[in-house]
Amino acid sequence: MRGAQRRAPWILLSPFLLLFLLTFLLPVVYAVGQSFTAVDRQGLFGEDGITSSFAGFDNYARALGDPAFVGSIGRVLLFGVVQVPVMIVLVTVLALLLESASSAWPSFFRAAYFLPYGIPGVIASILWSFLYLPGFSPIVAALGKIGLAPDFLGAGTVLWSIANIVTWAYAGYNMLIVIAQLKSIPGEVYEAARVDGAGPLRLAWSVQLPLIRPALVLATVFSIIGTLQLFAEPQVLRSVSPAIDASYTPNFAAFTSAFTYNDLGVAAAQAVLIAVAAFVLSFTFLRIVSRRDS
Amino acid sequence: MTTTSRRRVLGAASAAGLGTVLTACGAGTAAQPVNARPVIPAANGPVKLTYWTWLKDLQSVCDVWNAQRPDIQVEAVWIGAGNSGGYAKMFAALAAGGGGDIAQVEFQLLPSFLLQNGLVDLSRYGFRDVLDKFRPADISRVSVGDSVFGVPQDTGPMGFFYRRDVFEEIGVSPPATWQEWLDVARQVKESDAARRLEGFNVNDPGNFTSYCMQAGAEWFTTDGNEWVVDLTGEPTRMVAQFMDQAFSEDLFDLSLGAFTAGWYAAAADGRIPSVITGSWGDALVESVGGTEGKWAVAPMPRWPDTGYGSATLGGSTAAVMSTSQHPNEALEFIVWMCTTAEAIDGLIDNSGIGWSPSPDFIGTKRQEPSAFFGGQNYNEEVFVPAAEDQNPDWIWSPIYLEMNDALSTAVRAATSGGTPLADAMAGVQASVIDIMEHKGLNVRSAS
Repeated sequence: MRGAQRRAPWILLSPFLLLFLLTFLLPVVYAVGQSFTAVDRQGLFGEDGITSSFAGFDNYARALGDPAFVGSIGRVLLFGVVQVPVMIVLVTVLALLLESASSAWPSFFRAAYFLPYGIPGVIASILWSFLYLPGFSPIVAALGKIGLAPDFLGAGTVLWSIANIVTWAYAGYNMLIVIAQLKSIPGEVYEAARVDGAGPLRLAWSVQLPLIRPALVLATVFSIIGTLQLFAEPQVLRSVSPAIDASYTPNFAAFTSAFTYNDLGVAAAQAVLIAVAAFVLSFTFLRIVSRRDS
Repeated sequence: MTTTSRRRVLGAASAAGLGTVLTACGAGTAAQPVNARPVIPAANGPVKLTYWTWLKDLQSVCDVWNAQRPDIQVEAVWIGAGNSGGYAKMFAALAAGGGGDIAQVEFQLLPSFLLQNGLVDLSRYGFRDVLDKFRPADISRVSVGDSVFGVPQDTGPMGFFYRRDVFEEIGVSPPATWQEWLDVARQVKESDAARRLEGFNVNDPGNFTSYCMQAGAEWFTTDGNEWVVDLTGEPTRMVAQFMDQAFSEDLFDLSLGAFTAGWYAAAADGRIPSVITGSWGDALVESVGGTEGKWAVAPMPRWPDTGYGSATLGGSTAAVMSTSQHPNEALEFIVWMCTTAEAIDGLIDNSGIGWSPSPDFIGTKRQEPSAFFGGQNYNEEVFVPAAEDQNPDWIWSPIYLEMNDALSTAVRAATSGGTPLADAMAGVQASVIDIMEHKGLNVRSAS
């Protein structure tokens, strides 16, 4: 009986563990191995043989020596520094407004704000690309009527056009996380604050904000990781914007190296670098947040 | 509360971070190159083949074959156009050991697929016996030594498509030389500030490459087992200077690459009245709404005292992927598809395919005047001579996509006030050589 009890969790876990191992850990190990591999070819095309050899950190050096890849990292960092705070502030304000006593039709607006998250990223990007494209877009046409000629797809603007898509898609989702946390605040806390004479603003600042902090931290970490993984939006907008190259974001660069250039070694090195960057940024953020806790 | 949520966050963080690594997973290199393995004999029973292609409605053509050949049933599988994801899908399939039997591969991409050992040498399956059904020039572009790696399916001799009505309104005629092109482009721009003679796709500057081909450049040659790269020779320099001139005078609409969604809108209302492209562009031009009877085709402009009457853009081959279990049957179907009159007519009617690879038959429809092009018999008039007047020394490198992106980066810089293209070509050449070396190839520069 005791032996069976000890075995039971492992038996129940085994479907998960098996898939986790096969589809997750093994590919990770494989990719890390690939990132240390180089290819040699004999003949004009390798028709006389192809051999793989250990390359040391060559692929990493190539990835970091490529100005396009390094530029793409700088680009998403800039994107994150601007877009993540803007979205988190927006999310907080929306959540507080919808959860305030005076809001009208809160459940309708909750669903409405959440709706964009239900639209697949590629479809959303195609929709927005038409809203940005002169000759198609009612927005560009309307702005043109009042004498403005915005270029949503130019070299200096397209990054922020992408930020707009990302914010539109994910603000509602993050808002729900915050609302869930707001709903878990017990009613007595509000009553006590009101008895002490707190108005709605004071209530939001001194009671709600500190209590939804964990949700905001969670949303921020997800957003930082999401920023590093930007892919679908630039990939789709590339067909309408000459400013987006094939290494516009780190993930896009890794995709291009792997599946356009067939340079799996460099692609693996780029992917490992992105993963390390995601770790470092997430840990740094959590470290800063928890230091302020204590 | 804080600890649990933090642990959850870290779990999610590591999951998401490691997830990116998965994009890079794939396979290494095959143990034995496909063309060193034994020849696969013809099948005993009926076989099913798949053809990965972005040709519109190719299944209608396959069905004609399927009705005649119950033993070899071919299914057309539509994939995104080559550079728009089709090749990425094929490369991924090859790396994973899956994929279709037959694949549509553009001429310029064949060498890149060879680099992955991705294509079957068709000479091992008897293709040399039917070589006389094709043009020798086309065959030379799909051959390496005695091996043949793709069957020419359509080619892309280039011409000048233009809106006759807009040209008449402005009072210009199709330019015979590139110098005249500049003059016409200036007049088009003067006629309306929102109008440009042509769009130019910064993300895919294949037209620039074709113009260099037309001017007589030989970007890649081979010397034994070594590649020789020449992106800085005189013809290339001349074309790059021409482009710089056009860029500096803002003569191209850089936001409207040919045949993009925005381009169709602009072509329909006359903001873009012309496009220089392969003969296959006719089917695309015909889908510009409300312009029936307004278009015409003229020969491509020429370079002064040098080069050829035309160049090629795109054009594709049907190749047998190394993962196919039925190369004999696949080749049998491909030869039928590329050389018989019923298939060529079917490809033209259903798929709007490019120029016929058969020297004997350009297609029934194409021997007649076209109503859409104002009754002009443009195929006989423009493209038959264009298909003959080509640079015979041009070959494609095994790093077309990488080179195209490097060119794109140079063009992007040149069009936004950076280094002029003519000065940037030396840098493009250096990076091309670096990329080829990294692929493990022998390579040197010509100069």
